[in-house]
Amino acid sequence: MPTTKISIFSALLTLFVISGCSSSTQVTVDTQFPSVVSKPQGVNAAVVFSDEFKSYIATPSSKTTIDLGKAQTSLLSNAFRGLFRELEFVSSKDDVTFKDALVITPSVQEVQVSTPSDTYLNVYEVWIKYNLDIETTSGDQVDSWFMPAYGKTPDSFMLSKTNAIEEAAIIALRDAGAKLLLDFYRIPSIYNWMVVEQKLEEQK
Amino acid sequence: MNKLVSLCAVILLSGCGATTTIDEYRPTNNVMEINSEQSVVILGRRDAGHYDTDREFIDCVASKMKGADIAVLPERQFVDSIYPWFEPRTAPKGLKRLTRLMQDPEIKDQVERQGIRYLVWLDGSTETSGQGGSISCAIGPGGGGCFGFAQWEKSSIYEAIVWDLTDLTEKGRLRVDSAGTSYLIGVVAPIPLLTPVKNDACNSLGTQLKEFFSVDQAE
Repeated sequence: MPTTKISIFSALLTLFVISGCSSSTQVTVDTQFPSVVSKPQGVNAAVVFSDEFKSYIATPSSKTTIDLGKAQTSLLSNAFRGLFRELEFVSSKDDVTFKDALVITPSVQEVQVSTPSDTYLNVYEVWIKYNLDIETTSGDQVDSWFMPAYGKTPDSFMLSKTNAIEEAAIIALRDAGAKLLLDFYRIPSIYNWMVVEQKLEEQK
Repeated sequence: MNKLVSLCAVILLSGCGATTTIDEYRPTNNVMEINSEQSVVILGRRDAGHYDTDREFIDCVASKMKGADIAVLPERQFVDSIYPWFEPRTAPKGLKRLTRLMQDPEIKDQVERQGIRYLVWLDGSTETSGQGGSISCAIGPGGGGCFGFAQWEKSSIYEAIVWDLTDLTEKGRLRVDSAGTSYLIGVVAPIPLLTPVKNDACNSLGTQLKEFFSVDQAE
């Protein structure tokens, strides 16, 4: 009888250890992002945050999920406020009320994660590849802008995998905000649209 | 026998000291004045591909500066207050870019409102190399223990660049290079003899950096 108990205990212990080795990582990015320091241009925009975008959960690998929806909505809302004079956030293009404005629909194309075991570097890295579909309120396509963002942890030492991926994802999201503010008005098609619509003169 | 053990201990412990070199460059020998209403921000460079200047080191240098009654604004607070202009992608790498940033009235206003006079950029990392030896530990019904010997080398190389936000000039550069070997000896219990390479680099850099500044308490 004691032998049976020991065998069951050993089997349970082995199962526990093996299951521990192959555990999945579920990361929820939950943080507050700072307001941007930027003077908006004389352009109005409606930003379409679809329900799918607002609740987006990335699966960069079969064992890793990153809940980005809430954080990316908060970050991009902040960043867009630094770009446009007047702004509305809607859930669908049908809800846009502006007449003379840009309609921007962000979406996530891909999220990639690399860990120290993949790269032999002492950092965790996260890439988030966004796409901004930019139209006018009359439905004319202005551009479809690919916007990659990157973040890495300063050091993986003493960080759990979950915390490290969350930290790298936060840095990647902040990078997305930086890229948006830095490059949005440098997109040639946006600049041309502003020239045609005389938006450059309005801001002077 | 006791003398031999003592000699070995002395040799090993003396081997645990780090060798630290500091190079300093300043355009003039004038001290940098800072009054009680002004502050310094110590920022880490984060644009290198394979390393980030770690926050622990930045906090360590900041704590050395605070010890000299110099007001140090936390890195995160500054970076957030001026978001997104000091992110890895957007942070100015040279004075030309800094000058352009400071021409933006909103950015200038944020800097002035917080009384930031100097920016200190820290760039570098601590690397481990030259690992050798082996140590093995075992445990059995009668007890356990470790036997063997392992050693590794660490080197910390950091550079500090000081920018004055009032006249947008570079006030000086410091480079610290610290190296040392650590040992782990397994004689039943594992005995670590660690060389505090990064700590030495931080102490040396912090002390030298303090001497750059002259705190004017009168204002």
